[in-house]
Amino acid sequence: MNPREALSMSLRAIRGHPLRSSLTALGVLIGVAAVIVFVILGASLQAAVIGEVGGEDAERIYVWNGPEDAQGPPGAGARAVFTEDDIDRLRAIDGVDGVAPYASVSANGFEHEGDTIAGGDAVATGPDYFTDDAIAEGRAFESGENEVVLTPLAAAGFEEDVAVGDRMTVTFEDGSEAEMTVVGILEDSGPRSPFDGFGEGARVYMPADPIHRTTAENATGGEQRVYPYVVVTADSPENVEAVTSAVRTYLEDESDASEALPGTFGVEIQTNEDLLEQVNGLLATLTGFITGIALISLLVGSIGIANVMLVSVTERTREIGIMKTVGAQKRDVLQLFLTEAAILGLLGAAAGAAVGFAGGYVATRILEFPFVAPLEWALVAVVTGVLVGALAGLYPAWNAARTDPIEALRYE
Amino acid sequence: MDVTPDEPAVVLDDVTKTYRLGQPIDALSSVSLSIPRGSYTAIMGPSGSGKSTLMNLVGCLDRPTEGRVLVDGRDVAGMSDRERTTLRGRTIGFVFQTFNLMPRLSALENVALPLVFQGVRRRERRARARELLDRVGLAERADHRPNQLSGGQRQRVAIARALVADPAIVLADEPTGNLDTATGSDVLALFEALYGEGRTVILVTHERDVAEHAERIVHVVDGELEGIEAVTGARRKA
Repeated sequence: MNPREALSMSLRAIRGHPLRSSLTALGVLIGVAAVIVFVILGASLQAAVIGEVGGEDAERIYVWNGPEDAQGPPGAGARAVFTEDDIDRLRAIDGVDGVAPYASVSANGFEHEGDTIAGGDAVATGPDYFTDDAIAEGRAFESGENEVVLTPLAAAGFEEDVAVGDRMTVTFEDGSEAEMTVVGILEDSGPRSPFDGFGEGARVYMPADPIHRTTAENATGGEQRVYPYVVVTADSPENVEAVTSAVRTYLEDESDASEALPGTFGVEIQTNEDLLEQVNGLLATLTGFITGIALISLLVGSIGIANVMLVSVTERTREIGIMKTVGAQKRDVLQLFLTEAAILGLLGAAAGAAVGFAGGYVATRILEFPFVAPLEWALVAVVTGVLVGALAGLYPAWNAARTDPIEALRYE
Repeated sequence: MDVTPDEPAVVLDDVTKTYRLGQPIDALSSVSLSIPRGSYTAIMGPSGSGKSTLMNLVGCLDRPTEGRVLVDGRDVAGMSDRERTTLRGRTIGFVFQTFNLMPRLSALENVALPLVFQGVRRRERRARARELLDRVGLAERADHRPNQLSGGQRQRVAIARALVADPAIVLADEPTGNLDTATGSDVLALFEALYGEGRTVILVTHERDVAEHAERIVHVVDGELEGIEAVTGARRKA
């Protein structure tokens, strides 16, 4: 039979049961929409995380230490072992643009213009922690000075917005206070290294000298500040690999840190690229898992089609008998019912794709992710819909095709 | 309509049809029958006599267990399902007691349906269907659905459908069974006209009144051919 005839007859059959057809298509719609929403959320989450980890920070190398077989995010389980001498030696490596130590400092409160915010962490680090374009207003702090740099969220956290030049008082865990001058406000409130964690936050950065108080004895017998983390900046992305390996050689073989680390601990080094790969891998697993669950609902939708087609074939036994009596071949009947099932699948999938993209858009807006729409999934959805429909319709259609016209005409 | 005058429209040669429902039952046993071209034959018998089985064989809906069934000169016994379907579509026009129209199709579409499966183009199909609806007097009902038509009108649509592929044989199974006497007569008049124009008409019925419209009556009882009775002259209810 001419495919156009089959199409027109199938459409007529579908229109003959508007409610039933809509509900059947709805099953596929929900499945396809769910798959697309989760694919969009996965892609958008990935974009959001990559945006935060920062594709621009290609020159950055993150150093910490931990148990040799430790699994976990960068920095997990690190001990304060990198000394000032180690930092200076790293700074002297060819291709290194800057080195910043990094440690958390617990504070009891921050006071600005009489308004106190209780508790929270501050970061003790060096001026090299900030890239030139990271600071929107003012400048980076200088080592040895009582100066702070704030993220915009931290600056906006007090009753009176903090401006460059304002003074604030920091109360430390031991009760001591320090009067600090705000010298810089950052471009955005996102993390500047994996040690900062993820997401926007009210972060306060202060110079390790004089704020950081943890010390240990170095190789030459002097007391020095020690840090759990170090951020090395190479002078160009191309040098990252060479610098990474020089940093590793020094830290593992000659550094004060290598002396101080217990035997089961090792030096961990990760570049931004490594980090991206790791995050991407994790997100791909997560997205795959959720999409897999969504696929189950698509399967349920296809079972709905199979079910309705089986009912439909039984209901139309007599019509099938009439068609066969007046000259319809098996393949004509097969074609008719397959077309009908495929149309149901197609309608569900097309509507599901539209709903999925709309839902994905709304979800990314609510979660404040960048909206990434993998458009090829629209095509995948439509093709899947047709296939799911045809596949689900295969058995019912085959049942219809082999109907014996004599029996079928007797069927009431 | 290809007419080869000397060749019968249907030949049954020592035909047996056995159904195996637990115990084998012979619905027809050793039936031989020849139906000439252009003849008007009634097959008559009580229910369960085997006349439906006979009709299914002549209509290429079924194959004999033994013997040969020649329809339009071709042996149905050795045919594949596909060949039988093709032969059926082109050679036999069916008319049923219960009309068997497609409920969602209009009268015109119902009449044109057999041509859909023969790959005839839409425009041609519709023209041919309109012509036949006109012939059975239903031109103005072309767009009505079966449930908007009376019983007699439905049966006339079915007759138009039976004729649309220009079949050599028109096979009618109790065509007046669901109609009142007056509309039944109209329908039988249409068969008479078909016979008049040289088509082979086979009428399956259990009513003697109806059977007597044919030129001869084949009596079937208990799966066997009991006799062939010629209906002549004044007795024929033409």
